[in-house]
Amino acid sequence: MASKKSKRNWLILLIFLALSAIIGYQYIYQDHRNIETEKAEFALTSQTISDEFKLDVLKSEKKYLNQTIEISGTITEVNKNDLTLNDIVFCQFNTSVNQSIKVNSAVKIKGRCIGYDDLLEQVKLDQCTFIK
Amino acid sequence: MKNIIYLLFLISFSITAQTKYFTKTGTVNFEASVPSFEEVRASHNVVTAIINTDNGELAALALVKGFRFKNALMEEHFNENYAESDTYPKATFRGKISNFSLDKLNKEKQKFIINGQLTFHGKTKQLDNTTVEIAINDDIIIISGSFTASASEFDIDIPKVVRSKIASNIDVSFSFNLKKK
Repeated sequence: MASKKSKRNWLILLIFLALSAIIGYQYIYQDHRNIETEKAEFALTSQTISDEFKLDVLKSEKKYLNQTIEISGTITEVNKNDLTLNDIVFCQFNTSVNQSIKVNSAVKIKGRCIGYDDLLEQVKLDQCTFIK
Repeated sequence: MKNIIYLLFLISFSITAQTKYFTKTGTVNFEASVPSFEEVRASHNVVTAIINTDNGELAALALVKGFRFKNALMEEHFNENYAESDTYPKATFRGKISNFSLDKLNKEKQKFIINGQLTFHGKTKQLDNTTVEIAINDDIIIISGSFTASASEFDIDIPKVVRSKIASNIDVSFSFNLKKK
């Protein structure tokens, strides 16, 4: 006869399977990083980061790639989803840039460094947001 | 001395005289999906591309970490195991559009042939006879096209476990709206 014990074993197995399914699902469908809420690893000016990349691309890539960084500078170009600081740091936004933001204003931006564009000689950031 | 100055002037003049069109926000998408499995698809919206309209030379650069997937884990695996974007952060294309001339372009899309080298994951592959469609509208050159690449050509090894879920032929499409520099 099916004892209480074996019934309980089945129940434990079922709970275990359900739990691993939930954990597995959450692992496979985990959320993207949220750069906006991450704390910046580095805070520097557009000139400093650009100089570092120009001096030694490999070393700077090791240091900054995929890191959340804060850049301060002056806007030299604004488009729908991106802006450029001092002609040397390109920032892409996930949402459209507030169009009241004007060229020549000083801003601080947080984003993820994706590398150095040697065609235009610009450092590129994505998933940017304004700080302050 | 006068001659040298004259020569320098000529050289600098010829450099500035080159007409270049460029974009910082070109699009490159790739897809390696297999039917009935989760889509393997990424898009990149900040690809840089420059064309020299005097001779049809085209250069494009995509920072590999800028490829965004819907699935975060897939994006992580792509960067860490396949593209190895910490070691190879750039994907580049350098090529030339045959018989290109700015005067030929108009609002209608026209087909051109482009030949060049595609570098990804530290490997360079010759990409020949790719058809691109080019049009010009309000002084913006619009270039678009697609090609197929395989992971093995770029030394990317797809593990057996997931081989059935990732297509071996990867469809790559691109679109650039270039404005005058």
